[in-house]
Amino acid sequence: MKNGLALFLGVLATLALSWVGLLLTAHRQIGSLGQFKDPTDEILYPQPLSGLADQGRLVYQDLGCVTCHTQQVRHEGFGSDLARKWGERGGYARDYIRDQTVLIGQNRLGPDLRNVGARIPDADYFYKLLYAPESRFAGAPIAHGMPAHRFLFDVRPLAGRQPSAHALPLAGPDAPGPGVEVIPTARAVALVAYLQGLKDTYDYPIERSRNTPAPKEGGH
Amino acid sequence: MNSPAHNRSEQIAIDASAKWPVLLFFGSALFWLLLGGVMQLAAAMQLHQPGFLAGCEWVTHGRLAPAAQNALVYGWGMNAAFAFGLWLMARLSVTTLRHGGWLFVAVKFWNLGVALGVLGIMGGYSTSFELLEMPRFVSLLLLASYALIGVWAVTTFSIRNTENVYASQWYLLGAAFWFPWLYGIAQVMLFKAPVRGVLQPVVNAWYAHGLHNLWFVPFALAAAYYFLPKILGKPIANYYLAALAFWWLAVTTAFAGGSRLIGAPVPVWIPTLGIVANMLVVVGVVIVALNLFGTLSGRLEAVKGSLTLRFILLSLVGFVLAAGMNLALSLRGFAAVAQFTVLDSLRDWLTFYACFSTAMFGAAYFFLPRLTGREWRSPLLIRLHFGATALGVLLLVVGLGCAGWQQGHLLNDAGVPFVEITRAMSFWFAFRTVVLGLLLLGHVAFLINFVWIACPISSQGTAAAVFRAPPHLSIEAHAPAGHSLKGVGP
Repeated sequence: MKNGLALFLGVLATLALSWVGLLLTAHRQIGSLGQFKDPTDEILYPQPLSGLADQGRLVYQDLGCVTCHTQQVRHEGFGSDLARKWGERGGYARDYIRDQTVLIGQNRLGPDLRNVGARIPDADYFYKLLYAPESRFAGAPIAHGMPAHRFLFDVRPLAGRQPSAHALPLAGPDAPGPGVEVIPTARAVALVAYLQGLKDTYDYPIERSRNTPAPKEGGH
Repeated sequence: MNSPAHNRSEQIAIDASAKWPVLLFFGSALFWLLLGGVMQLAAAMQLHQPGFLAGCEWVTHGRLAPAAQNALVYGWGMNAAFAFGLWLMARLSVTTLRHGGWLFVAVKFWNLGVALGVLGIMGGYSTSFELLEMPRFVSLLLLASYALIGVWAVTTFSIRNTENVYASQWYLLGAAFWFPWLYGIAQVMLFKAPVRGVLQPVVNAWYAHGLHNLWFVPFALAAAYYFLPKILGKPIANYYLAALAFWWLAVTTAFAGGSRLIGAPVPVWIPTLGIVANMLVVVGVVIVALNLFGTLSGRLEAVKGSLTLRFILLSLVGFVLAAGMNLALSLRGFAAVAQFTVLDSLRDWLTFYACFSTAMFGAAYFFLPRLTGREWRSPLLIRLHFGATALGVLLLVVGLGCAGWQQGHLLNDAGVPFVEITRAMSFWFAFRTVVLGLLLLGHVAFLINFVWIACPISSQGTAAAVFRAPPHLSIEAHAPAGHSLKGVGP
């Protein structure tokens, strides 16, 4: 090769090709995917996150939860996401249009969180997970290896007051001691609201038919 | 046309023009290599000691791990690539690096950008998109400083004094244009005018794959195509195939990003296209291997003697392994086990560390003595650096390979509670911490030698970057033996 201009144009063309072929084509295909109106209850799905949960998304983002947690449920036949009850069905592209930032993640050092709100409805579980992940909830260990996020909580003396209704019910070695209570900060409340809002429980009739794999040849 | 003596004086003039910009870039690169390495070590430790540094929000694992990654990629990786790329471009274009003063400005703003970005991630302004975690405002700073740097690479190329454009130059020039485009498009499509829904992960995968394979890999290949014929004194084997490999790799790897999204909730043609692209990449890898291993064949004695070639050989092995890992992760059966495990994360580490970083080490052992006109001071530290790097790469590949395989099987067995999986992985996480510590030790050794050779007031060193210095490999006599041959750069 001698011609610098040809090299330059070729270099630009190779990446332009993949940009058009991959990103723009995908954008044309699903860039304007909209909500689906359920014919029976006339509600638009996926339903938007609440304002508080959307603030929690920002906390999720700034704490880098995506470093260890995915938010994608793979379909039947690929991995054991459904067997682990990480979702009632595999994920659809439409599930994600409500999210302003889509963090599907690529590491499962921790469990998948896409449906964690449907799996665990109890807010106290999440507070305990964030404050003392190695403790037990309802008799079972919560997590192993997850760092505590105690900076999301205020530990303050009671000073003779009644304990707050929001104080964490802690016992054992994690309890802060007599006369002291642990209160989640606004960020912890938002984050937990976000986690509780993570649920793709609605099954879109139009997606179900599109996303079901074709039956194997010869099978019945 | 050029006599070796004339040639040598030309090289000295070129090296002199490149000396300070390259030393500055490489010095900052080493600073980030150490800092990022320490952060990476701490983050790795947090995985088996969850209480370590957990109390402070700035260094919670979710922030420290991406901050370390960004410090290494944008601090060490990019700075080292700039240093090596500018020097090699000047040498291959047989022209001095002009107006180097602008590069001093660029290096300051680039490193300011990286510092702000890393602090931004730790301070809670992370965007959480892989390799694009730095806060938005930093990207403008980085792009502007990159423009200042890239423009000198391209200008140097355009005022070249050579008839032929050599393979290393294709890769350097390609990377110089690919990076700003990848980065700019990713910034626009994710932050400026964000695309909707799962298109964001698609853009992110396209960027992450592009950054590794269209920026870092080209630098490693440019180094291999340059140093092999130069030090061995023979042309690249089957050089006529090199152009085919370049274009083949450029076209196919650009499409391969979708292979990171197997099983993800995206239209299924996106991962499928990526899988096909990754299979096609193999052809390019085979040609590159024919070129480079073909050149090496029968000359392994020379590799033993040259430190640069030892690192380049390591880098080539890393290149092949990374391509193999990309291919394996594209196969559904393998991906079903390895996806989302530490084996998955080995893919980018192989490209970035085993392929790219080792090539930069090798290159630095070649160009630093020539830029400064001194010899390396401590052969012991050189040995330590190479030994730690080679052993570290081997241990991490084997260790994380086993760990990921075990983790994948445990993840796929729905009967195993998640808590048990992280318990089972503790050993491997500790293992990784030890290996990262070993690599860091090698980097410290390298840094000490670098300070000795680069610091203007330190005394003259004595260790040549060859283990058993054959006379024709010393600096003064280092005329490119095969300059007139096809396939050997000037």
